[in-house]
Amino acid sequence: MSTLSFVYLPKGVGAKHGAPINVALVKKKAIERCGLSEEEALEMIVKMIDGPVAINVFDMEAVTTTSDGVVIPGAIITMAAGDMGKIHKEFGVLHMEEIEVTAELIKEEPHLAPLQKLYPGRKLFRGPDPVKKVIPVHNVVMTGKAVNNNSATEVMNVVTMEEMLLPILGQLQAIQGGDIVFAITGGVISVGIGMTVAEKYGRVFPTRQFKAGETAHDSAGYAKTLKANIPCIVAPKEILAGYILDVLECGLIPGKELGCSPAVLSVAYAMGAKIDFENISQRAWLELESVGIYRNLLEQPAIAMTREEIIAQADTIIPGLLDPYRVKSTECFQEISVEV
Amino acid sequence: MRLMHTSLPEFKHKIKGAVIKQSPNKSIKIKGLENLKSAKMQSLRTGRIEESVEAIAANKETVKVEVVVMPRVPETMHTVIVKGYDEKGNPTKAIMEVINIIHPTEEVELEGFAEIEDRRPTIGRH
Repeated sequence: MSTLSFVYLPKGVGAKHGAPINVALVKKKAIERCGLSEEEALEMIVKMIDGPVAINVFDMEAVTTTSDGVVIPGAIITMAAGDMGKIHKEFGVLHMEEIEVTAELIKEEPHLAPLQKLYPGRKLFRGPDPVKKVIPVHNVVMTGKAVNNNSATEVMNVVTMEEMLLPILGQLQAIQGGDIVFAITGGVISVGIGMTVAEKYGRVFPTRQFKAGETAHDSAGYAKTLKANIPCIVAPKEILAGYILDVLECGLIPGKELGCSPAVLSVAYAMGAKIDFENISQRAWLELESVGIYRNLLEQPAIAMTREEIIAQADTIIPGLLDPYRVKSTECFQEISVEV
Repeated sequence: MRLMHTSLPEFKHKIKGAVIKQSPNKSIKIKGLENLKSAKMQSLRTGRIEESVEAIAANKETVKVEVVVMPRVPETMHTVIVKGYDEKGNPTKAIMEVINIIHPTEEVELEGFAEIEDRRPTIGRH
């Protein structure tokens, strides 16, 4: 007899209306330890949870990227949606595609260059292979009311029509029992999630559609309103700052190799790192300026702060989030164990 | 019959008739086709649905039958046509756009049903 453990956030917990559906996060290793197949584990979890649920399976040995292109350890390898004890047999499960890390890939996607130094030999996952998915447009799974979207970083209830953003770093904090922040996204996050990098099998875009320095939103002053009023669960800013610092210390240039999100630009400025101002498109500057990120201010020389100083002051350096509320994830995500 | 099509009014007539055939006192409601003014419905499936409606209506305890038509693939892509007209009703300009719509899957309609018989073929085998 063995035990399958996972963490579980009940529907309704979080900022504003809270999580619109239940959320369960499970490690691939926890499934393997029980001798279960992934499918069997998902079935067990969905039967335990009464109501709509998003279930994400993590490979903590793998790596992924944030939407602005920062490489981080820990990746979602499977996303599922369940409701009323069932997972839809056609639309309920989607697997992320393993992407082989080669010199050619890094040439096409220079934001991955730090992988060789920071996470050598680790598997890379982001979104699914578009050829293998049934739903035509989004990287989404759904069963009944439950919708798990954008490669498992956004959940929705399609009946109440409420949604919540679950950026990858917040989920990684939750599955590891670290601190998390409940908040409303606000304008800065709304703009920032559009400052993507070109990625094959990306979490949102299947092809290398938008390059560093561009905006996927391309909505000028409207970008700050697009996702500004949505509850989210994110990592504390010092965690985000640490990962951005890791890749900046490897020499990545924001706006050229790394996305030009407010978080990346703010940390780069504090560190005194080079920013490719010219490569950031005018359309992206319009969106950045709408949330108070001005090129002329970033071009002013500043006293470079140390890594330790930036991490200690991350809450004031990185802009964004409305009404943030920091908690230990273990106070909100319940650890569930079920005998197998 | 496999490659034939039935008109929308005839489809509705056949579905309603399948209930009345069992009992004129049982009610029937068709949901999900409200926006369709004209359409040709797959004849093979029209016949099968007619049979299903009859089977449900034949149950003595059943007094009300609902037939819900919903997207099989829960993210659908639609063309949106924005049209303008002048005072005389003549067309001024039209713009075509597209929108993707996410729908709930069938579980939302099946809540509470213990006996569910899934007669659908897998996607692609229609």
